[in-house]
Amino acid sequence: MKEGFLIEQERLEHEAAASLKSSGLINDIIRYFRKKSIFVLAYGTGCGAIEMPPTFTSRYDAERFGIRGAATPRQADVIVVSGYLSFKTLRRIIHTYEQMASPKYVIALGSCTINGGMYWDSYNTIKQLDKYIPVDMYANGCMPRPEALLEAFIALQKKIENDEEPSGWERYLENIEWYRQNQRAVLGEDIKPAYEADWYTEGR
Amino acid sequence: MNILASLQPQLCDKFETQAFDLKRDDLAQVIVEKKIWRAVMDYLKEEAGFVTLLTITCTDWIEEERFELNYIFAHETKRCDLMLSFSIARDGESVQTLTDRWPQAEVMERDLHEMFGIVFEGHPNLASFALENWHHTPPLRREFDTLAFVNEHFEFRKGREENVDVKAEAKRLRALKKAKAQAEAEAKKEKGADDADE
Amino acid sequence: MQTNKTINETIKIFHGPQHPGITGNMSVELDLAGETIQRAKTHVGYLHRGFEKLVERRTVIQAFTIVCRICVPEPDINEQNFAAAVEDLAGIEISERAAAIRTMVLEMARIGALMLWMGGQASSVGLDIVPQWCIADRDLILDLFEELTGGRVYHMYIFPGGVRRELPEGFLEKLSNLCDHLEKRMERYDKIFFENATFQKRAIGVGIVDKNEVIPNGYSGQVLRGCGFKHDVRKDTPYLLYDRLDFEIPVRNEGDVYARALVRREEIRQSIGLLRQLVLIIPDTTGEIMQKIPKHRKFKLPKKETWVKLESGRGEMGYYMAGDGSEKIRRMQVRGPSLIHAYALLERLLVGSELADVAMIMNSLGICPPEIER
Repeated sequence: MKEGFLIEQERLEHEAAASLKSSGLINDIIRYFRKKSIFVLAYGTGCGAIEMPPTFTSRYDAERFGIRGAATPRQADVIVVSGYLSFKTLRRIIHTYEQMASPKYVIALGSCTINGGMYWDSYNTIKQLDKYIPVDMYANGCMPRPEALLEAFIALQKKIENDEEPSGWERYLENIEWYRQNQRAVLGEDIKPAYEADWYTEGR
Repeated sequence: MNILASLQPQLCDKFETQAFDLKRDDLAQVIVEKKIWRAVMDYLKEEAGFVTLLTITCTDWIEEERFELNYIFAHETKRCDLMLSFSIARDGESVQTLTDRWPQAEVMERDLHEMFGIVFEGHPNLASFALENWHHTPPLRREFDTLAFVNEHFEFRKGREENVDVKAEAKRLRALKKAKAQAEAEAKKEKGADDADE
Repeated sequence: MQTNKTINETIKIFHGPQHPGITGNMSVELDLAGETIQRAKTHVGYLHRGFEKLVERRTVIQAFTIVCRICVPEPDINEQNFAAAVEDLAGIEISERAAAIRTMVLEMARIGALMLWMGGQASSVGLDIVPQWCIADRDLILDLFEELTGGRVYHMYIFPGGVRRELPEGFLEKLSNLCDHLEKRMERYDKIFFENATFQKRAIGVGIVDKNEVIPNGYSGQVLRGCGFKHDVRKDTPYLLYDRLDFEIPVRNEGDVYARALVRREEIRQSIGLLRQLVLIIPDTTGEIMQKIPKHRKFKLPKKETWVKLESGRGEMGYYMAGDGSEKIRRMQVRGPSLIHAYALLERLLVGSELADVAMIMNSLGICPPEIER
């Protein structure tokens, strides 16, 4: 049986996602607006979260680029994984990422998400984030300054506008088995979400 | 009058302390045997005024086959702290809980149970604290090798192609520098010889 | 009918870890009857990195680079505690000038942390303009830090044996100007936040701490001072230069969220005053900023134990450290104020309060998850 979030995305979001791919004036306009309204999920997963408030408030003012916070994953476009991830948080990140509606993007901060960083020999943090969820943009540094964060967001906007290579969420859906296998290797068999498809299962 | 200095004779008279180490004006360590630690602690709390439990720490002396437990108390005037230490065997020895005296001991003991595997008798709930689904050796025990654990469970991204081994590169640069210095010295020598010839 | 009633008695809600009203990455499990909380249970571990294990594998100097990451909003207190513990074990005395510069760094960090708290506290009651202002004001402090140490957030400046760099030229003048600026801003913050009717109505009488529990349970910082106890580690057991500086311990008697906010407001004022005194003192201080310390591999700690503590922006923070005669630290334990505040205190305070007040109460305790689970 297919997992709940896969069915949900096929049923509800397939058309919206397909529109991203096709060309034409209307779709260009859609892409433009999509690029200019990026809602970032309010989830400070690690150290890097301390540079998020300066980025979003008056001094660096990310809102001038159309970037602002969103409270729930259902309304967010971008999740910022701000640094190291412990196993316990990774479980929640996967859960949260799968709740977000596609098109959705992941920005990973700091050296910790690339190769473990400072915590390369820690027994409780993962080393390469893109084995577990797809990453669209890395911002380097420990920790990245607000300018670096803004640069990452703007690079992401360019990526949304050009839409050349497959985005992270497309790769995630295509290679779900590979991602699941990696997730199971560190989290054990019972990765949340453990829920099965319910009201939107086939035949209802 | 310093609180700790005046406490020393009273405490040593009353109990068989192994050592009373006055470390600073505001810090002392009392080492006792495990069988009397509750009595000493009661005395400290009820009579000597050390009413606050600040923290419980554990040090793993693996070569001496013991854990050293440190209960750190603060005086009610907040002007000095006292460490009450005793040793237990690394395996199979449990300690009585302090949750009946201080509510904050609950989480500290849970932490120690998870990190060292020490069992606290009478603790209401020794559930996991910071870790989730951990089935390995308790991580802060000395025999747990975190690097081996990491190598077993993760692989690292390979470096860039042009990455060089730092040690080899340093050696190469040193050799290069030496050769250059030698060449310079020789050139100078020759030049000096030429000058002398002229 | 009966079964329906038992099912509907309480609702379980996980407040966090993904929640805008939580302080950092942690969660509180709430059992609600309607809007009222019946039972609260704290969950941490989302940020556990095993610092205490990592430190055991590293030499003293290598360990120094990671300790500042234990608490993100105010990293310098960790550096100072680590340095103080190592100095205590290795018997290093720092000079007067190094102590003065350290005091200045700690006070700047304290103002920064309290400004960040102000932003969180205000947005937890829906005053969204306050974070816009005070996080920008905090950035001015970070700019000075950047000039002094090269880093905005993590400074790695307070090193065992002293501090790493001499003050840049004209730094004290800039600091003095910043004090002027912040003092002016504090009047605006009074109007927009502390005397704001919205905040007063929400905060007065909410989250009252039981005064009998305060001392035995080891609550510290603003919780302690908001309940009328005049204690501060800087006064009780002075470290660095604090015994030469002149400052007051602000105290309120109410013990509620509003009292803690007012205590913090006064603390920002006191810290600005301390910085002003330091600006005058530092040029006259003498001594090398860095003592001679052994080389990397030869930096060995004797087989001794120590416990050091200081006053952070949230309360009393202590380090236990044990050496074993080798170049590595045998054991280091961090005990921040948040451990007790998030468990022993928060779980009690939340029972009986409303769901809407959870974020406000958490913020008023100043809970910082990374220092709970290290």
